[in-house]
Amino acid sequence: MDVKRKAIFTLARVVAVLLLSTVLILLSGADPIRALQAFLSGIFGSAHGFTEVFVRATPLIFLGLGVAITFRTGFFNLGAEGQLYMGALASTAVVLLLPASWGSLRLPIALVSAFLAGGIWVLFPAWMKSRLGISETVNTIMFNYIAIMLVGICIRTFLQEPGSTLPQTAIIPEDCILPLLLYPTRFHAGTILSLVAAVLAWFFLCRTTTGFEMQMVGMNKRAALCTGLSVPKSLLLSAVIGGGLAGLAGFNEVFGVQHRLLEGVSGGNGYTAILVALLALNHPLRVVLMSVGLAALQVGAATMQRTLGIPNSIVSIIIGFIVLMILCGSLPEILEENHPILRKRKENIRHVE
Amino acid sequence: MWNEIWNLAFFTAFFSASVRLAVPLAYAALGEMVSQKAGILNIGLEANMLSGAFMGFAVTYWTGSLLLGFLAGMTTGACFSLLHAFFSIYLRQNQNVIGTALNLFVLGLTSYLFQVIVNQASGAYPQVDILPTIPIPLLTNLPLVGDALFNKDIITYLLYILIVALVWFLNRTMWGLSLVSIGENPRAADTVGLPVFRIKYLAALFNGLMGGLGGAYLVLGQLGVFSENVTSGRGYIALSLVVFGRRKPVGICLAALFMGAANALQFRMQALGVDMPVQMFTGLPYVLTVIVLIISAVKRTDADPAALGKPYVRTMR
Repeated sequence: MDVKRKAIFTLARVVAVLLLSTVLILLSGADPIRALQAFLSGIFGSAHGFTEVFVRATPLIFLGLGVAITFRTGFFNLGAEGQLYMGALASTAVVLLLPASWGSLRLPIALVSAFLAGGIWVLFPAWMKSRLGISETVNTIMFNYIAIMLVGICIRTFLQEPGSTLPQTAIIPEDCILPLLLYPTRFHAGTILSLVAAVLAWFFLCRTTTGFEMQMVGMNKRAALCTGLSVPKSLLLSAVIGGGLAGLAGFNEVFGVQHRLLEGVSGGNGYTAILVALLALNHPLRVVLMSVGLAALQVGAATMQRTLGIPNSIVSIIIGFIVLMILCGSLPEILEENHPILRKRKENIRHVE
Repeated sequence: MWNEIWNLAFFTAFFSASVRLAVPLAYAALGEMVSQKAGILNIGLEANMLSGAFMGFAVTYWTGSLLLGFLAGMTTGACFSLLHAFFSIYLRQNQNVIGTALNLFVLGLTSYLFQVIVNQASGAYPQVDILPTIPIPLLTNLPLVGDALFNKDIITYLLYILIVALVWFLNRTMWGLSLVSIGENPRAADTVGLPVFRIKYLAALFNGLMGGLGGAYLVLGQLGVFSENVTSGRGYIALSLVVFGRRKPVGICLAALFMGAANALQFRMQALGVDMPVQMFTGLPYVLTVIVLIISAVKRTDADPAALGKPYVRTMR
């Protein structure tokens, strides 16, 4: 019964999404069949398109992992955006300020500093929550804006490209760029790093004692406390790891894609990552799946826009719509709870069975 | 450079710009304040504002009526706020996730629909006439603040009335007290017979109306054009103002004014070609918000409503 109902629900959701997409495509005056062709050819039609899916999925994987890990301990980290900026800022600063003689040794140093910067950035709100009881919701959003401000200041002052008036840093040295895996596409080694991070995160969360303790804290703080776990320790640790992973997304964007630090390096991915984590039910490996799925949507929609003029904003509409439908999942139980008539009928059916 | 700054004309223009930038933020933040007092933390404030801005613009563009535009903007904002309320109150989902999803959904929807309008307009970029300014006689002539406060449009004047009304409502009426009690302890409020859910929905309705009004005002009162993501994070700013203003109407308006001043200063500094990173000014209010959060927590005053963000389930303890 339950499985059947779940299947019906999933099917209804898929149909609703397809229906919505068709309506949106028709409204913009395009033919849905041709749009589908464009969508698929955008993803699978060329090596560039196919690798672009992974280029776009990579920051989402890092961010989604970061958010998922902090969500697991019940810390609602809305600050992935800011952690990304801090990671990008720290890693860029390290590479540009260290002497050139260090060569490509600067790349791993940048990676570590991105992780640390993201982790330290989330440590403030996490500490404020565990120590002072300050809700992290508004606080993490504030830290996003403060991080964006810091980046804005740095790329206009000591990190600004010499001789340029644009708010951007110099291009990072050639020997520090993440190697391309498939010339001439933008597919770079950052994707592999993100997959490694996903596996490590999965192992850590689902196969180690510390990870188990974190999940326990997230499920029932009081029970965790009563069994003698240190709740603040779990919370801070998960926050630092999550923030660090979000920081790596910044590192990935600078060293794999942009090759310099600009304003708007995230493109709002920090907020999308919250939805990725939700769709993945905070499971690290599903985060990868969802990120690739969302990235494929983006790449396909970009092709639809180029060839048929369909606004690519339909991706945001569809992602938002899917999440809202998932959130509707608790509707049947609550309906039954509030309207006993429904519950009775179901019990009767059960009797007949 | 300092000669250009230290004169009356500069300050008059600076104050005027500060108020101008503060008004949409103040509306959205006041709405969010009421919502938070009832225990609903709506991150989707950005969605309320952006949808209000778009619908306000679209309706005014089609009908030529600013009044209809504002009404449409407010209604749309209210729809999204009520949707948030339905998901958080009835379906008991995480309020942050709903808000984030709504923000993304509305960002996509407004960009998409605006693109459709632009395509149909063929050629001319759609724009509307903005709200006329109505100078208040005598008061306009006050030095420094006259132009800033009394040479504005009707929506700005309505804000002054709204502030007074909200102060009175929250401190002097039963309804205001009921609202606060529901945010603090919904079970106690329920026990004494207050309609908890209805009041929560009403608070969300107010939040949406104000957010929609703020968004619509941004486009219809100031810009005259809509563009993709025209609110560009103002909803999040308003969210910070609620905390920064310590959930008090006057405090929030001062916070909004401060934010407006920071922005106005940034624009002016840039215009004067001042050689320093002006991001400091716009970032400062966020730093101050964090400091306010810490101070409130340490002093244990003006803390969050106790039941903020938590769904209230009648049958569960």
